[in-house]
Amino acid sequence: MTNVIANPYTSADWNVLYPLGIVALGALAVLFVDLVSKKHAPKWLTLALAGLSVIGAGVVCAQQYGQNYDAFGGGFLLGGFAVVMQELVLVAALGTLALYATLGDEERMAGTIALLLWSTCGAMLMAGAANLMTIFLGLELLSLALYCLCGLRENAIAREAALKYLILSSTASGFLLYGMALLFGSTGSVALAAIAQAPVAGNPMLWIGCALFLVGLAFKLSLVPFHAWSPDVYEGAPLPVTAFMSVATKVGALAVLARFVDAAVPSAGAEKLLLPLWIIAGISMVAGNLGMLAQHDLKRLLAFSGIAQVGYIVAALAGGGALGLRYALFYLIAYTFMNLGAFAVATAISTQAEEGSRLANYHGLAQRRPFLAAAMTFFMLALAGMPPTAGFVGKILILSANVGAGYAWLAGLLILGTAISLYAYAKIIRAMYVRDEHAHAREAHPVSPLAWASAAVCAAVLLVLTFYPLAPSNVIPLVR
Amino acid sequence: MNPYGPVAIYLCVALAAALLFTFLPGLLGRGKPNPQKQEAYECGVEPTSAVAGRFPVRFYLIAMLFVVFDVEAASLYPWAVQMHALRAFGLIEMVVFVIVIAIGYAYVWKKGGLEWR
Repeated sequence: MTNVIANPYTSADWNVLYPLGIVALGALAVLFVDLVSKKHAPKWLTLALAGLSVIGAGVVCAQQYGQNYDAFGGGFLLGGFAVVMQELVLVAALGTLALYATLGDEERMAGTIALLLWSTCGAMLMAGAANLMTIFLGLELLSLALYCLCGLRENAIAREAALKYLILSSTASGFLLYGMALLFGSTGSVALAAIAQAPVAGNPMLWIGCALFLVGLAFKLSLVPFHAWSPDVYEGAPLPVTAFMSVATKVGALAVLARFVDAAVPSAGAEKLLLPLWIIAGISMVAGNLGMLAQHDLKRLLAFSGIAQVGYIVAALAGGGALGLRYALFYLIAYTFMNLGAFAVATAISTQAEEGSRLANYHGLAQRRPFLAAAMTFFMLALAGMPPTAGFVGKILILSANVGAGYAWLAGLLILGTAISLYAYAKIIRAMYVRDEHAHAREAHPVSPLAWASAAVCAAVLLVLTFYPLAPSNVIPLVR
Repeated sequence: MNPYGPVAIYLCVALAAALLFTFLPGLLGRGKPNPQKQEAYECGVEPTSAVAGRFPVRFYLIAMLFVVFDVEAASLYPWAVQMHALRAFGLIEMVVFVIVIAIGYAYVWKKGGLEWR
């Protein structure tokens, strides 16, 4: 007679993973439909299935708002924070699907979309992950699918991007893993809460572990000394993948970082432990914006812009106050819509032969496509943090959090970075509104309604967020 | 002794051994090269082609597909050992797992991943 091994998890644990499960099931369904159809599944069916699963997951996830539950022995913490982060990832996935509807080729659609959905699952897992194992599982699920997605384009630059991403991201994972091993070794626990509150003094292994862990995360977030991969990868990857990458990977890694900071702050040595993080956030704000000045490709430009934007968000966490976290989250929400909107415009002016990402494609756009030019101007102003947009409100909130937490020097760097970035964003706006003598020579092709609509939705959301800055309040505590 | 002491000793020994085997031959050996010694070692048989040759990328594809099924086999085995102890829950988990793998397998098959092109 054998002993029965009791299942340690109840249905309450599994319920937490419903949104994730729906997305994963959607990916399988997409593959299955492609399998049973004669040659390959029609594009609309693939996208409809994927869209349904993402929206379904979003609805189920929204219903979990307000619940607090530590699932899987603290591996996945359901709460306001996890719900908001998961919804952001799902928004990114939905926006990317809209871009794929415009740009993707039918033959490879099913495999691509399935990978995209699995990548979404990884980011969603990271959104709620609170111990080292779930963090790593989510990160690898997110990254592995993205490596493949980056290379799914028939040219050398895409392959270069995929290889670069694979190698550099694996290196970062190595740092992260080694850091995790040291953290576990020095504290005997995998839970973030237990690790971050272990006594720091006289424990060099914990110090080194924390340092390596944060370096790994900074790599994934492409904060400045570890940022060199992101412009090249963004440039090479297909446009929808770049859009997804620029939002989902950052949401996932920021979720982990926010949890770690939130857990670390009550402990005694936190101020010293986290100071390097604030310093690299400050450097990112300035260096990212400086790097933007020299770019002639929208994707590269937005990569550098993303480096700076993540710098702002990380800076908002400085001091570890509850308010800073809420404002970081608000800015992240705004950033999601700014970036998705900008990529939607780039997709709308793309053709099958050429992605509309070179700056030259925007010359005289205002004459050909006044609406798209206006929308792009709006997104650029939002990224720069100009008044009628959520970017402005977000920056004001971050500044107030910084000054309130006693990090006025970060606020100063933020203002400096913003001033530099203005020039780069204005370059695109100027290109669009400058009179173009060859305007009639450029063939005006029909604009995809879905790309048009997603640009409009993003602009509307940004406008609404300006007047109703909904910084979600139900996100504390992150770690129990 | 620090519980991690043995690990440190092990690391030092491993490093020393590797360095020793790398540099000792150069120090002790007398270099008398001849054409036979310069050839690549192929079990004593004379090499028939260039050793540093390129080989087709499809080997990687096969290797990758193999890993998938290897992982499946590796997770089936412990489950089979503990099947009675895990009860219905274990069975359901494994059925779900196998279905997922099976869809992937069928997909690879249909897309021509198993053809030797």
